[in-house]
This record gives sequence, C-alpha cells and structure tokens, in this order.
Amino acid sequence: MFCCPGCELAAAIIRGAGLERYYDEREAFPPRPEATVGGWTQVPVETLADGHAQVRLAIDGLRCASCVWVTEKVLERTPGVDSAMVSYATGRATLRWDPARTDLPALARRIAALGYRPRPLSEDSAPDRGLMLRMGVAVMAMIAIMGLYEGLYAGWWYGDIDPRFAALFRWLSLVIATPVTLWCAEPFFAGAWSGLRHRVLHMDLPIALGVAILYLHGLVTTILGQDGYLDSLAMLVALLLAGRVLESRGRRRAAEAASALVGAVPRTVRRVVTAPDGETERIESVPVSELRLDDRIDAGAGEELAADGVVVQGSAQVRMALVTGEARPIVVAPGDRVVAGALLLDGALTVAVEAVGQDTVVHRMAAELQAAQDRQLSPSSTDRIAPWFTAATLAAAILTCLGWWLAQGAGAAISRTVAVLVVACPCALALAQPLSAAAGLGAAARRGLLLRSGDALLRLGRVEVAGLDKTGTLTGGAVVVTDAGDAALRIAAGLERYSGHPIARAITTEAARRGIPLPAATEVRETPGAGITGVIDGVRWELRSGGPGVVELTTGRRPTLVADILLGDAIRPDTREVMTEIAELGLDITLLTGDHEDVGRKIAGQAGIGTVAAQVSPADKAEWIRARQARGREVLFVGDGLNDGPALAAADVGIAMAEGAASSVLVADGIISTGSLRPVVAGIHAARAAERAIRRSQMQSIAYNLISVAAAAAGLVNPLVAAVLMPLSSISVIWNAMRVEPAVRRAEVCRR
Amino acid sequence: MQAVIVLLPIVLGLGLVFAWLFILAARDGQFDDLDDPPKRMLHDD
Repeated sequence: MFCCPGCELAAAIIRGAGLERYYDEREAFPPRPEATVGGWTQVPVETLADGHAQVRLAIDGLRCASCVWVTEKVLERTPGVDSAMVSYATGRATLRWDPARTDLPALARRIAALGYRPRPLSEDSAPDRGLMLRMGVAVMAMIAIMGLYEGLYAGWWYGDIDPRFAALFRWLSLVIATPVTLWCAEPFFAGAWSGLRHRVLHMDLPIALGVAILYLHGLVTTILGQDGYLDSLAMLVALLLAGRVLESRGRRRAAEAASALVGAVPRTVRRVVTAPDGETERIESVPVSELRLDDRIDAGAGEELAADGVVVQGSAQVRMALVTGEARPIVVAPGDRVVAGALLLDGALTVAVEAVGQDTVVHRMAAELQAAQDRQLSPSSTDRIAPWFTAATLAAAILTCLGWWLAQGAGAAISRTVAVLVVACPCALALAQPLSAAAGLGAAARRGLLLRSGDALLRLGRVEVAGLDKTGTLTGGAVVVTDAGDAALRIAAGLERYSGHPIARAITTEAARRGIPLPAATEVRETPGAGITGVIDGVRWELRSGGPGVVELTTGRRPTLVADILLGDAIRPDTREVMTEIAELGLDITLLTGDHEDVGRKIAGQAGIGTVAAQVSPADKAEWIRARQARGREVLFVGDGLNDGPALAAADVGIAMAEGAASSVLVADGIISTGSLRPVVAGIHAARAAERAIRRSQMQSIAYNLISVAAAAAGLVNPLVAAVLMPLSSISVIWNAMRVEPAVRRAEVCRR
Repeated sequence: MQAVIVLLPIVLGLGLVFAWLFILAARDGQFDDLDDPPKRMLHDD
C-alpha cells in the first residue's frame, strides 16, 4: 500500500528499472516515523529440522480480513518463503522461509512496504495511540462545529443572521472540518481503498463515500454561502472512531490477559558446571536460551523445570498438569523422565537436559495448537451486509438523480442526490457490531469471563453442546479429604501443619473445617516423595502414601497401620447449580474425562450431569467435538491443562480456566478468571444479549436509512433535518448496546 | 460585532490549548490503559 498514487508510481518505476535490489541490499535505513524496520537482525529465529527458519511476529495496522489476505499472499509469493500465516484476531504472523534465499530483515521490509508495521513479538504490544488521538480531535472539532452551526440554524427561526457572521461561521466550520476529514477519517479512507484494491467490499467503503461527499458538499456550499452538513460530518467521524477505539481496546485487553498468563515461564536456570579437574561442581545462573543438550540443571521445590530431560540425582514430587492434565503429583527418581513446565512440589532434582526451547514437548504441542487457532477467521455479519448496502445506496442515488433531472433539471437533481448520499451513510450500521459486542465482552469480563474477541462472544451465544473436562474444571483441581477419622486427622494435621504440599493443605483445611485443634509436633522431618514423620503426644508417627488417593498413618519402629485417610477430587462448590443453569439455557452437557468410568460417573452425579464419556484421550476429546460439529451443532468446550489444547482449539468456543496450563490459555477463545464455572453462564447470557442488540440495531438502522433516503429523495432533507436525524439512529444503536448489561443482570436475577 | 471579534480569538485559542493538551496526554500514553491503573492502587506490592 502506498500513501499516494505518486509513491506508487515511483515504486513501479523503480521496480521496472530493476532497482529494487538496492532496497534489498542496502543496510542503513533513514529513520521512518511509522514503520520500525530496523533491529530485525537481532531477532531470534527458530531453525526447523529441515534447516528452514521460522519466526512469529506481531503485525500492527491490520484493519480487516483483506489486510490479512494480502499480507499472506504477498509473503507467500516472495521467493524463498515456504509459508506465511497471519491471524487477524491476534495480529500475529508465523513465517517460514529458506534462509539461503531470503532473510528476516527482507521479509520485515516486505511487510512494511505493504503499509503494515511488523515488530518482534518480544516487544510489548504498543497500543494504537493514533486511533485515540484521532477520536479526541474529532470530538473536539464536533463540539466546535456544532456550536457554530447552532448559530446558523438559529437564524432560520429568528430571522437571517448577519451575512458577515454567517460567512465567518461557515468558513470557520470548514477550516475545522478539514483536518477531521483528511486526518481523523483517514483510517476509513485507507480501509475503503485497500478493500477496493482487493475487490472486497466492506463497511469502510460506504463510510468513506459518505464522509467524502459530506465534505465536498460542505466545501461547495460554503463557497456559495449556504449551510452544509459539516456538523453531521464531524459527529459521524467522532462516533465511528469511538466505535473503533472500543473495539481495539476489547481485543487488546483479552490478548494481554492471555499473554500475561503465558509469561510465567522460568527465564533463568541453575546450570551445574563441572570444573576442569572433573570433580568439583559449581552452580551458575544462565538464561534458558543458553541451555544446551546434556547440560545438567538444578531445580528446587516451587520451581518449574525449564527443559525436558532425565532425572540424574535427587527425588521429588512433581506436578505435570501442564502436559498430562493430571492434577495428582507423581514421584520421580533418578532415571525418570520429566518435561519442561513440570512443577516441583517438594524435594530437589538434578536433570540432564534432553530437549530445550522449541524442541520441548510443551512447546511443540503449543505451537501446533496455535497454528490451528490462527486459521479461524470469519467475517462479521456487518461486513456481509456491506456490499448490499453499498449497492442499494448507489442505486437509490442514481434513481434520485435521474428522476429529478428529468423532472426539474440539474439543480434539484444534484442537491437531492447529495442529500440521499448523506443520510444513507451507514454510521449506525457500522457501530452496531462493535458497540454491542464491546458491551457484551464487558458484561462477561465483569463476571469473570475474558473473551478474546467479539466473534468468540457471538459464537458462544449459539453453542448447543457443551463438553466439560473433569480435573481442574468441574473439580477445583485441588485435592480434598474425602474420608478420615477425627483422631487420625488430628495427628495428620499436626504433622502436616508446616508443609506446603497440596495433600498437607487438604488435611489441615479439613481439620480446620471440623474444628479440630492442631497438636504440637516435634522432630518433624519431611522426606520428598516418601512421607513425613514427627512426634506428637510422645509418640512417633509417620504419614506416607498408600497408593493413589490414600494416605496411611503409621506408628512404631516397624510401622503398623493406624488409619487410612482417603483423598479425592471435589467439585467446585457451585458446580451443580451452574450445570442446571447451563442445561436450562438449552445446552447438552457431557463430562469428558481421561479417568476411569466410575470416577467420572461419581463426579458427574455430584455435578448433576447425565452424560459421561470416560477414558477419552486428548485426541478423542477433539474427535468427540468434531463428531458433533459434523452434525451441524456448535460446540463449547471448557477445560484446562495442555492436554485439553486440541479440544479447546477444535471447539467453536474453547474456554480455559486461568489456573490451568499456560499453553491451553493461548489457544482458548476465553479465560475464566474466577475459580468457578459461573462465568460460562454469564458469558452465554451476555452473548445472547449482545446478539439481540446487534440484530435490533441493524434492523433499526436499515429501517431508519430506508425512511431517510426516501425523505431525501423527495427533497425533504436539509442540513438541519440531517443534523437532528443522523444522531437519532446512532443513539438508538448506543441505547441497544447499553441495554446489554441490564439484560444480563435481568437474566441472572430471573434465575434466582 | 465587536463582542464576537474579541471573543472568537479567545475561544479559538482556548480550544487549541485544550486540543494541544489532549495530544500531549495521548502521546504520553495517558490513554493507553484505561482499565488497570484504577485497580493497581489497590494491589499490595
């Protein structure tokens, strides 16, 4: 994309003369205010197995689906590029290329040449300040022009205003309207232009057309000494920009919430270095990126492993929920395999590194899922209306022009055709989707469900089938005591009171719930992975694992079993109620679990869910979803853990629990930030309310446009009528969007 | 007439000052994040 035809011509000439090699080969760049192209040589690039390079980067300035299309196509046609994938929802691109034939700086320049701004992903995403600036300036100009035009309109009632004042006010308004048209409304012109170039009609085109006609008409009438539509122009641009600002803010907030959760990966590791004498060892702290195969790293309690590998020394209980989705900790000893992202609950390990960074299990799974996610893209319902809308407007304008030309001549024809084009400007129609979706997203976010985009929200309103994961979703993921005697519990709680282990927490919490006072314990010693011993009331006790879900309390030198404490998953406190509400919203709920049928049935019974699919693998879950989609039903999936990733990506709407694995959060459409499933219900209410608001707004604005176009064609519209009528439809759209929040509140109250 | 001739430059000047202040604030990043700062003061560091 070029800033003007002149630049485009210049570029064509350079290309024609075969001079573009200069731009590929020069290394120094003059500073450019917008496109940051420098610094690309330092960006870390991933090298794939076949020797080709891959990188993920962010692209700013993608305005519409066609921007995505053109970027992909141009990159894919660049020699040396294997594939290019751009996601509109996240503004991110994945590029793969042959390093022998091209390089990253060249590709970045290529993107910048299209008019978009590529930047390395590590940089914090800079918010679009330009949009905010444009909106602020447009609002101030709107207030100023409205004040001036009010004076002019007053003259229609109280007798004509002094012509010198009228001229002054009109010219002043024109001066103020000029930057509004040329600068504030520039995003609409740019969007319409790129749409035209790629033969994609979207909402920007009728808007740009309307703004241009309003301004040109204002210019002509000001010169002729008549009132124009400049106040309507400023108001329109300001309202439309406000819609854009809202839309981009909602998108950014969700993206940031997701990336904040993903950022929690260890950045430095403790590497064990053997001194040259081959005996003494020391520990050095190095960044994860410097870790190499066969290095040995140390990790202690509470730390996450930074690489895949084999335990060479020590033992520990680790939680690998990130990969297996299994909340229950497992004990690892020398010779066992551990993966990056595994959390050490106690003990300490020395691990020989087998895979780092891009090669770790976690990373490979996350990368696949993200690629799947980026493919999803659907045009909004407004963009589907746009071509029809534009065609109808143009047809009405042509008919009006022809009709009046034949009846009364050129003068009447021109003024009425302009009036038709002015009132047909689809301000309200363009605002309907972003405003209502933003209101719905806000209503859902306030109730604990952060959705990535308005699209995801609207899909959530249409789902008919819900698949729910068990561990960490229906259940809190935490272990609870399901059966234990008071006396045994008292001793166990006394031993475990200083331990931070999840089982210890379950035991002390249960003791506190039953009001059992904690006894004093001495000589407490915890052996990672084995158990805990200590002396209470003069007797030595030992607490140790007795198989899955059982803790044994023993005493004596030759341990004799005193009591068993049974542990299990517990459903979240309000789960049953939430399930009933979801069912009442018309969704079929199924519990999907990798666990055994009995366990699944038990939890489903507690939660009030009828259908259970037990012993399903992560791939089976995704398959289960696709089977329902094949029958034309839209599927919601709620889960956590990376093993839910394929299901989250396959579902029409995938929602992850925030306390779940970071990588699953990346592929999900939404995140639940509270420890409950209630936000799902709120989200569905919000989605349906937003959908109704959008429908209502679109109907109203189309009806409004039909009436006002008819009035304009009949010659009944003048600048004052337009100034009163045009905000009316926008206000009705804003009103509809404002009713989303109360509608959600009503839906919640009705239920109780 | 005289009132307008005196008032108009004053009003325009005021408007331009406000526009300038707004642009400064926006460039400075004051509007980058409108959600978190009001909550951040409640966080314990």
